[in-house]
Amino acid sequence: MMYEPKRLHPAGMIFNLFQGIRQSIVGLLPIAIVTVGNGEWLYVLLGAAILLVLFIVFSVLAWYRYTYQLEEDQIRIEQGIFIRKKRTISKHRIQSIDLSQNIIHRIFGLTKVQIETAGSDQRIDAALSAVTMEEGQLLHQQLKYNKQSEPVNEESEQQEAAVSKQYPQRKVSVKQLLIAGSTSASFGIILGLFGLVFSDLESLIPDRFYNQVTDWVVSQAMQVLIAFGILTFLILWCFGILQTLIQYWNFTITRYEKELFITRGLLEKKQSTIPLKRIQAVGIKESVIRQPLGFAIMYVEIASGEIGQNQEMHTLIFPLIRKKQVAAFLEELLPEYSYQPDNMTKLPKKALPYYLFRAAIFPLLATITVAVLFFEYAWIPLIITVAACLLGYLQFRSTAYKIKGEQLMVKKRNTSKDTILIQHKKLQSFQRKQHILHRKQKLATMDTAILNKFLGRHFILRELREQDLDLLADWYSYQKE
Amino acid sequence: MRREPEERINESAINAWQLSAHLFAIIPLLVTIAAFILAYYVDFIPYWIGMILTVVTLLEWGVTAFFIPKLRWRRWRYQIYDQEIYIQHGILIVTRTVVPMIRVQHVDTQQGPILKKYGLSTLEISTAATTHEIPALLEEDAADLRDQISELARVEQDDV
Repeated sequence: MMYEPKRLHPAGMIFNLFQGIRQSIVGLLPIAIVTVGNGEWLYVLLGAAILLVLFIVFSVLAWYRYTYQLEEDQIRIEQGIFIRKKRTISKHRIQSIDLSQNIIHRIFGLTKVQIETAGSDQRIDAALSAVTMEEGQLLHQQLKYNKQSEPVNEESEQQEAAVSKQYPQRKVSVKQLLIAGSTSASFGIILGLFGLVFSDLESLIPDRFYNQVTDWVVSQAMQVLIAFGILTFLILWCFGILQTLIQYWNFTITRYEKELFITRGLLEKKQSTIPLKRIQAVGIKESVIRQPLGFAIMYVEIASGEIGQNQEMHTLIFPLIRKKQVAAFLEELLPEYSYQPDNMTKLPKKALPYYLFRAAIFPLLATITVAVLFFEYAWIPLIITVAACLLGYLQFRSTAYKIKGEQLMVKKRNTSKDTILIQHKKLQSFQRKQHILHRKQKLATMDTAILNKFLGRHFILRELREQDLDLLADWYSYQKE
Repeated sequence: MRREPEERINESAINAWQLSAHLFAIIPLLVTIAAFILAYYVDFIPYWIGMILTVVTLLEWGVTAFFIPKLRWRRWRYQIYDQEIYIQHGILIVTRTVVPMIRVQHVDTQQGPILKKYGLSTLEISTAATTHEIPALLEEDAADLRDQISELARVEQDDV
């Protein structure tokens, strides 16, 4: 082994540059658009050029001042242009090392190395944005404290084939991905983005042209407008499907002795390792669109944060699965958890009014206000109120729990139905809440929490029967009397 | 969870809470005085606003200083078992909490100037995901409890 400080691959400069531009573009774009709108092209170009030069200089400097050094049982990273930061990560603390590649990485045969440590301190994690593939593999080999033969990329396919014989593995099919994409709600997000971009672009389009277009649109027949609407919707829908395909292409999950290993992605190959020890809970989520079709996604809650932009609250372990197959999936890949949704304890009838009240109170108040002020428009909030009541009823129907050995299974709904499996020892605390009305009706609310990312995630089951909650508390209590 | 915990917090907690309520009541009092001054000198706002503010101030002061602390103290109970901590609090919504010792990550004691005056301090118990407190214990009790809990909580935690 050579222990000398190394720099990242020069392509790292490109990533620094992109990152700098991406971080500042949100603040600068509106200014640029406004100035362009006022016809000040020259200033914008000049400003952009100066900024670009600055960014390039800083990227190069940042790359030059960033070194990493592999030592006997630790990795040492030094970075910072003016303020030097040194960071040492001990091999024993490392939980997982993930290699991921985006398009630029692939062109140069590089990889990004993410090093995650135990505990929830983000400052002691590290990410090397660009090293050669072999260097990445070498780091992976060297730093992995519990050495395992793992498939790292496509080159080790024979190894992978050998591995998949011994370890349970699931792959997502293209059909599943298509269903996942077409039932995802992501076109809503895209619609929002589209609106945002358009509102910025509006100021760029010359007024005369814009007015002509709007006049033409307004003068069209209703049918044409509806056709337009449907077409836009379809295009966005296809975008949503495409996005899902790109993101979860070839999604493969493998179960090793002590970790789950996930690879996915079409343009950007991502792999991630989830140590079993850090899994706090397993969830099965059925969105409103997918539930009637009998589909769900599966996710895990992990006790630590990932570095990077995807601050999703939980980590997907399968992008789409038939609800009937969830039990088999868990048995094969996560036998520590069991999914048997039969005879769960439901809520008593007397809890329903609380759920309806909570769901409908604000729309109801809005309805009353509108009815007093403009009576003829009162039907709009009234419809929302009715929908809210329906949602409240569904929430009441969905809420249930079940204890099986050391596992608590909680089912609840905000809009999507969410079933969560949690092991007893992962529950951080247990609360019972009651107000006066509850006490009279022998109802109580349970609130228990697990750790996820850096915050807790609370599971709150409102208005359980008091005696049911006491049984739950007995199950939870460490003080067996 | 069927029975309430047995230990009460120290009775001087009531005095401490009352004192902080008195201090806090100064803020609406100042606002009220300002309203009267404005009404008198500037004719900027009518007198009835000052009147309403006076009523609100007195109400707020009365409720927070003479009513709530006693109730709060009566409700507050805790019990330290050797496996878990059991806490009850809340005036309108009665909350009972169980915190297992092996889930406790760290224990802090806190003391502001008001609590110091009465020789009290607050015990703060943190798990990985939640924070719970037992307010207004006698200083030495809090310190003892803190040591006791950290002693009991000293178990190998490998999964969180």
